[in-house]
Amino acid sequence: MKDKVRDWLETGKVDLFLGYKKVDGHPLPHAFSKENLAELGELIASPARYALEKLATEILAIKPAIKIGILGRDCNRRALNVLAVHQQITPGQIEVLEVNCCPSPLRQHAECSTLQPQTYGAVKLELGIDNNMSVAQMEQFDQESLFSRWMYEFQKCLKCYGCRDICPVCFCKECSLENGDLVATGDLPPEVPLFHLIRAVHMAGRCIDCGLCEEACPVDIPLRLLYRKVNGLVKDLFGYETGVSFEQPPFSLLGESTPPEAEPHLKAV
Amino acid sequence: MYQLVPSVCSYCGTGCGVLFEVLDGQLLKTLPLKTHPVNQGKLCIKGWNLHEYVNSRMRLQSPLLKLNGRFHGVTWDRAVQFAADKLKGIIAEHGPDSVGVLVSAKITNEENYLLQKFARAVVGTNNVDHCARL
Repeated sequence: MKDKVRDWLETGKVDLFLGYKKVDGHPLPHAFSKENLAELGELIASPARYALEKLATEILAIKPAIKIGILGRDCNRRALNVLAVHQQITPGQIEVLEVNCCPSPLRQHAECSTLQPQTYGAVKLELGIDNNMSVAQMEQFDQESLFSRWMYEFQKCLKCYGCRDICPVCFCKECSLENGDLVATGDLPPEVPLFHLIRAVHMAGRCIDCGLCEEACPVDIPLRLLYRKVNGLVKDLFGYETGVSFEQPPFSLLGESTPPEAEPHLKAV
Repeated sequence: MYQLVPSVCSYCGTGCGVLFEVLDGQLLKTLPLKTHPVNQGKLCIKGWNLHEYVNSRMRLQSPLLKLNGRFHGVTWDRAVQFAADKLKGIIAEHGPDSVGVLVSAKITNEENYLLQKFARAVVGTNNVDHCARL
C-alpha cells in the first residue's frame, strides 16, 4: 500500500493522497504529498472511517486542477460513483487505492468500524427501533407500533444537521432542510416526521449505505435503516441500484424522456 | 497545503474533539473526531459550524475600547491597562467586594483556576461564579 502511494506521488499520478495517519493515538485522515514522502511510513488503513471522497471533492471545488488519490473502501467507491452521476466530479477524476472493507463473512480481515453491532438501552428497545435491525425485521412490527416507534426516534432529534454535514453524497448549495418554508427555524425537535422524511426522500437513489450519518447522530436515530428502506423502494420500483454504476437515477430524468413507470402491482407500497 | 488539524471545540465546557479541514491556511470545514473519547464522532450544531465563526467578517480581531461614546480598536496592552486602571479605581473607592468575577465554560480548567485566583488573591473578593450556573 505504501509503495503504491509512493509510486503514485513520485510519478505524478496524484499530487495529493488522502489516507490515514495516527496523530496522538487517533487515526486521522491525512494528506500525503510529494513534499512529505517520509511520512508515508505512517500511512495506515484506519478503523475509523471518514468520508475521504467528500474531502477530496471539497478540495477539487476550490482547486480543480489538482490530482487527488484516496484510500477507499467499497462505500467510498460507491460515493464517488454517485458524485460523478451528479456531476460533482468527473468519473475517474479521483484515484482510489482499494483497502479491506467492512466486516462480513466473506471479508474476515476487515478493518472497518461499521457494521459492528452496538448494544442499545432498554428504553430504546422498548419504545424505539434497534439500529441493528434489518428492514425486514423492522417491518415485523404492526403499523401502529411502527409509527410510534419511528416517532419516538425522530422526536429525539437535536437538529444538529450532522447527518447532512457528514454525508458524502450531500453537496447541494441550497439545502431543503434549511429552507424556512419547509422547516421552521428555531423549533426543537424539528417538525417530526417531516424533517427526517424530507431528508429520506432526498436520499432515494442517492444514499450509498455507508452508515456515516448513523455514526454521527448524537441521539442514535436509525437513519441507515430509514434510508435502506427508501433505497429499497427505489430498487424495487425502478430497478435502480445506487452507486454501482454511472447510470442516472430515475429521479434525474427530465425533459423529453419519460421516467420509468412503477410496476402496477407495487404502486400501493 | 491541505491539512487536517485535530482540536477541541471551543463552544462549551464538554470538550468535544473536532477536526479542521485547512486548505492554504483557510479553514474550510469542521468534522467530528471519530475516535475522541468525549464525543465519539458526534457533534452538536454549534460544533459542526466552528469554522463559520472563525471565518466570520463580524469576528472581533482586536479589543475595542469605548472612548467618547464610540468603539475604537486598540492593542491588548492598552485594553488590559485600561481595565486594570478602572478595576483599581473601583476597588479603591468601593472595596474589593464591589467586584465580581464570572468564569466561563468556554475557557480551560487552568484558565478558570487562574481567574478565581485573580479574584481571591489579586482583587480580594470571594465573588466568583460560573456561567454554567446562571
